[in-house]
Amino acid sequence: MPLRGSPPAAHQAGDGWADGTKAKQRTRTAGFGAHGARVRGGRRAERLAPYVLVAPAVLVIVAFRLIPLLMGVNFSFTGDGERDGQAVGPDNYVELFEDPLFGTALRNVGLLVLLLPVAVAIPGLLATFIYLRVPGHRFYRSVYFFPAVLSPVIVGAIFNLLLAFDGPLNAALGNVGIDPVDWLGDPDVAMFTVVGVHVWATFGMALVVFLAGFSTLDSTLLDAARVDGASLPRVIWHVIIPGLSRTIQFVFVTTMIGMLTSMFGLLYVMTSGGPEGSTYLPEYYIWIQQGQMNRPALASAASTVLFLLMLVVGLAQIGLLRRAGREK
Amino acid sequence: MKRPALWSVVLVAGLLSGCGSAGSGSSSDAADDKLVVWDWKSGEETAASYIEQAKADFAELHPDVEVEFVAQPFDQYYTLLGTAMQSGKGPDVMLFNGGGQLRDRTDALLPLDDYVAEDRKRLAGWEAFTAEGKVYAAPVTLQGHPIYYNKALYEEAGLDPEQPASTWREFVDDCEAIAEATEASCLSLGNKEGFGIQFFLSGLGPGVLSPQEYDDWIAGDRDWNSPRVRRIFELWKETGTAGMNNEGASSTLLFNDAFALFQSGKAAHIVGLMSDVGHWKDFSEFLDEAEIGVMQAPRAEADAEPVLPYDGGIGYGVAEWTKKPDLAADLVRSLTSKNALSAFYADAGAVVSDTTIDVSGGGQALGAIVSEIETGKPALHVALSSKTLELMGRLSQQILSGSTSVDDALKQLVDSDRKG
Repeated sequence: MPLRGSPPAAHQAGDGWADGTKAKQRTRTAGFGAHGARVRGGRRAERLAPYVLVAPAVLVIVAFRLIPLLMGVNFSFTGDGERDGQAVGPDNYVELFEDPLFGTALRNVGLLVLLLPVAVAIPGLLATFIYLRVPGHRFYRSVYFFPAVLSPVIVGAIFNLLLAFDGPLNAALGNVGIDPVDWLGDPDVAMFTVVGVHVWATFGMALVVFLAGFSTLDSTLLDAARVDGASLPRVIWHVIIPGLSRTIQFVFVTTMIGMLTSMFGLLYVMTSGGPEGSTYLPEYYIWIQQGQMNRPALASAASTVLFLLMLVVGLAQIGLLRRAGREK
Repeated sequence: MKRPALWSVVLVAGLLSGCGSAGSGSSSDAADDKLVVWDWKSGEETAASYIEQAKADFAELHPDVEVEFVAQPFDQYYTLLGTAMQSGKGPDVMLFNGGGQLRDRTDALLPLDDYVAEDRKRLAGWEAFTAEGKVYAAPVTLQGHPIYYNKALYEEAGLDPEQPASTWREFVDDCEAIAEATEASCLSLGNKEGFGIQFFLSGLGPGVLSPQEYDDWIAGDRDWNSPRVRRIFELWKETGTAGMNNEGASSTLLFNDAFALFQSGKAAHIVGLMSDVGHWKDFSEFLDEAEIGVMQAPRAEADAEPVLPYDGGIGYGVAEWTKKPDLAADLVRSLTSKNALSAFYADAGAVVSDTTIDVSGGGQALGAIVSEIETGKPALHVALSSKTLELMGRLSQQILSGSTSVDDALKQLVDSDRKG
């Protein structure tokens, strides 16, 4: 219905030229002027159409993403409290980088990046076992996915109980003669504990992706390797990993995003950034500054830094994926 | 082509106008006969009759005005409030914790001095809601930090439950006796959130600082380098090294795991609260009321004069942006009326700000607390900014784990306190 406008107008103009008599020609010529304008109008409309069609999406992005982003960046150059609304230059950023707590938060991001291979290897290895049909593989396949449907708050609460100093895990360790560990109260241990729980809670999704990848693996290669007498580690290293390289890259990217963006719930429930501030992540820092310290401008500065950090990580990942795509 | 263009323009215009009005649907724009209150209490069962009484009191004065209570989750409360303040729109009346949380936000609040003049005598705890000589909220409860002890454990350890230690030396000896005779730890400490050190500073500080130094501290003249202040933090360290605390204190929540330890008889002492939670009524759920004792801070210095540390606990203030300041102030007065506060005391066991309410039926522990209100002083930690408190929480964990010395911690605290 909406396309009724221009194409029929062009048709009529064409018919006019094909027709013969002068009188008709005159009227038609007069008519042609009007039709020509409509043709030009139609062409313009056609030229504008794509812009009009993408306008809503662009405007939504501009209005709800870019403008707030720029306002946030702008806000980060204003003061808090008594200096509310005044321009303070880079003061917030200076304060941010002098704050050892923010330093810890950034270092913890680095730690997450370092722990990434472990977080990818665990579901990869378990998926391999399931693929190789270890006894009970059907059972494991469903059980491994189960934690992925639990919310971080529930997972955090469960592990708070399990990992409490007087909790069941330490009691079990005590039974075999190992001293209790303060899983969530020792600054050298707590971050690893939280990352471990995060991996436990989320590896089900990566496992499913790996299993999907395995279904594309050529089983004749595996059979050939077995016939040649290759051991399991050699099969994994020389057959499975090369065959799954794209899947592994995909899991790397999604796990990285998951670690950088969805740890807040666990941190909030399990450690509240402690002990000694050792489990702060930038997100948590932003939340504390905005909500507890009443420093929204400083929180904006921290958000801007986090945004830039994510931008770098994101671009690096896109580059990695592109290169992987070309190799393919 | 024109119609789709038109439609998309309409759509975009709709979205943009939606965007423009996103923040304007706030309560302040509501009809003149409505007040909106934000708090985290009104949803609780034990506060139901309190809110009802306050509403009834207010309805007598202004029968046509509707009052809406919006109970926010406490975890998110100051985050939500911060957002409202940033936009300059939000509730007309809001609940605050006394001390730093209120003082950090006074520019969004209306001074109430003229409105509450009549209540000044009847209610206690104004100090925590006062900044630069102006009152910004009216106290509802009194919040303080009495030291509770478990008399049954005292008996088990062969100690006289009616004669708790009056000096730090005696206290340490009692702790040793308790450790020998029972499974319980001497102190119940929950310092995961960093609240443990705040309670320790306020609960045991009065037994260390001289009265003069105490008053100076409250008045803002804080000498973090004085030997007495250092002593408090050394005692903190001592409780750790001497094994007086429960194990894993840095991973134990004060709310409510540490309270649960005391309640279940696994710890002999706790620096608790007076109102709402972690108080005598809370503990009496599992401990016999007669088993709960309240003691003064043991003296660590001879000339210290232990007092009950308390402040205004929670209080209602009026937003600076409200269009109905008179009505809102009247509502605050209703929320602190004698009837409402009596109901709050009766149901929640809260020690309310109204000192004229009869609390004689409340048991021994409450009696001991209330008798000390008159001589009590503001708590030491309430005088600190939330930034310093947060830092102190982290440093206190470091002192206990040995990764920071008391000297180094005090140095950082001086800097933070001066900046604040």
